Amino acid sequence: MGRTAKDSLVKGIIYLATGITLSVLLSIVGFIFVKGIGLVNWDFLTRDYNEKVVYAFVESGEVPLSIDEESLKSKQPYDQRYETLQEGPIYVENIGAAIASVSYKNHSTEREQIVISYIEKDSPLNGAIDSTGKAITIGTDYILQSINGTDFGDMTLEEVAETITAESGELKIKVVQPGGGIKSNIITTLYMVLLSLIVALPLGIFGAIYLTEYAKPGRLVNAIRFAAECLAGIPSIIFGLFGMAFFVVAMNFQISLISGSLTVAIILLPVIIRSTEEALKTVPMAFREGSLALGATKLQTIFKVVLPCAVPGIATAVLLSIGRVVGESAALLLTAGTVAQIPGTLFSPGSTLTVQAYYVAKEEGNIELACAIGIVIIVIVIVLNILSRITSDKLDVFNKK
Amino acid sequence: MDTNIKFNTKNLDLFYGDFQALKSINMEIREKEVTAFIGPSGCGKSTFLRCLNRMNDLIDCVKIKGEILFDGKDINGPIDVINLRTRVGMVFQKPNPFPMSIYENIAYGPKCQGMKDKNQLDALVKESLTKAALWDEVKDRLNKSALGLSGGQQQRLCIARTIAMNPEVILMDEPTSALDPIATAKIEDLMSSLKKDYTIIIVTHSMQQAGRISDKTAFFLMGEVIEFNETPIIFTNPHDKRTEDYITGRFG
Repeated sequence: MGRTAKDSLVKGIIYLATGITLSVLLSIVGFIFVKGIGLVNWDFLTRDYNEKVVYAFVESGEVPLSIDEESLKSKQPYDQRYETLQEGPIYVENIGAAIASVSYKNHSTEREQIVISYIEKDSPLNGAIDSTGKAITIGTDYILQSINGTDFGDMTLEEVAETITAESGELKIKVVQPGGGIKSNIITTLYMVLLSLIVALPLGIFGAIYLTEYAKPGRLVNAIRFAAECLAGIPSIIFGLFGMAFFVVAMNFQISLISGSLTVAIILLPVIIRSTEEALKTVPMAFREGSLALGATKLQTIFKVVLPCAVPGIATAVLLSIGRVVGESAALLLTAGTVAQIPGTLFSPGSTLTVQAYYVAKEEGNIELACAIGIVIIVIVIVLNILSRITSDKLDVFNKK
Repeated sequence: MDTNIKFNTKNLDLFYGDFQALKSINMEIREKEVTAFIGPSGCGKSTFLRCLNRMNDLIDCVKIKGEILFDGKDINGPIDVINLRTRVGMVFQKPNPFPMSIYENIAYGPKCQGMKDKNQLDALVKESLTKAALWDEVKDRLNKSALGLSGGQQQRLCIARTIAMNPEVILMDEPTSALDPIATAKIEDLMSSLKKDYTIIIVTHSMQQAGRISDKTAFFLMGEVIEFNETPIIFTNPHDKRTEDYITGRFG
């Protein structure tokens, strides 16, 4: 075989490999987006995952319909993949809202329900309060179940409309806030990021300072470095098992935010130590000498000269760590749990976005929802990467001229 | 004892591990004079200079024997090394301004010593920069990064930074080797004007420079001081054959 033929063969293999890599990447992201994008909207981001039943107290009024019947009919705010319109909508003046009957059907459930399809601007529903007097929102797509004790159970839509119209004065309405959102998961993820960084950052940075500035090179330092490298390579499920045995059981923190974040903090430590160390090593020796020659102490030198020079590297470490926490699932599954709720205290459980994606895909078989969560995760990771570039450029002391 | 003697070393030996870098150095350095160290690369002149404010502490495996008396006190004894370094400042071979503003670079040392008063710092910054002949060039950009200055300006900034500590001695380790001739001339002028206030010890590779600015010159070779005398004598009438060979350019 001639040399040119060989060259073009190798070249072909190189292009092929690149092409395969790219197309795999694109098809994964594409698959996630195509599957999930239909579910991503404002409600998805701001609603709880679980439906919530509340009793709303509303002062009834008389609000005429301000739009025509046709446009009222066109308002179908519910998720049309699970819900199909059966009857209505019918406008009810004393609550200033239109109601409709829809049938709800997903993988496991099938039922008929009365939902709010349209709310007038000055509807009394907008001034709803709960039993403690706190203002609550009632929005379109919320399910109505009873009014002043009369259950809508087997009623037709018209009967429900008549029942509501017959009531006056203060109305006590049982409404169900629709679930399916990931607000709690986003908040849990944020908590997790914050808590694990609060623990891991100081430990990691001080550890790296010890290794580069104080420790005499020798066996101990090499051992610490080796340990940190090994820790970075261990699969996170192992950390999860440790966290479960130690924080959850031995320390009796239960499956909770604190157990999860401490476990993740351990996972982050080697990442932070390594990258901070690298950042500190790149600070020229001349700065340390210059500072010491001016009569600064070692600590002053480290905190006033060396660390500021290393800030871009440390910022990158922080953002990498955030990415790691956002992406962590195995360890959190075992230590923070799968309960989709906003953790009330450090000791209550909560599920992050990745854990929630696992949960809905595995336990509920709802691939679309898992993909929708995937989109949110991907967007967060991309934003973090962009932010990391901007911040490390901004904080770079060598860039300012 | 002669009170004009700033540094007095007695039988100073220095080892890097097993390698002996300085061999029995005995030298008296006088106040408010410029003393120059010359010699080929690796002869120990920089090592000796770094002994004088204990910068060799930063290097592991350095062992020192003998005495270095600074104003009659052994600096390798139980002294406050921070205090020593405020009294014996140092300017390095490559300009090493910190990546901060020009102002912060000058104020860094005094701030580390606990000076907080803004007016006092402002005055000190102005005074130091003026003494270092840099004030007129940078007065409008004090808050700009020092890294934006030219090499020569950066080195004068480093000198100004050292002056701000009001030291008694300034050690200079080949301060002009990274600079062009014009910047070098400016620094040499500066050294002559600083001589009346400070004791200056300079390591240099340029014999012309040593001849131009120093009062006394020491010739180092293989870790030993071969000859230490008035500069004119070293350059016109050296007592040792090796000194003569070196300054006439026969080796080195």
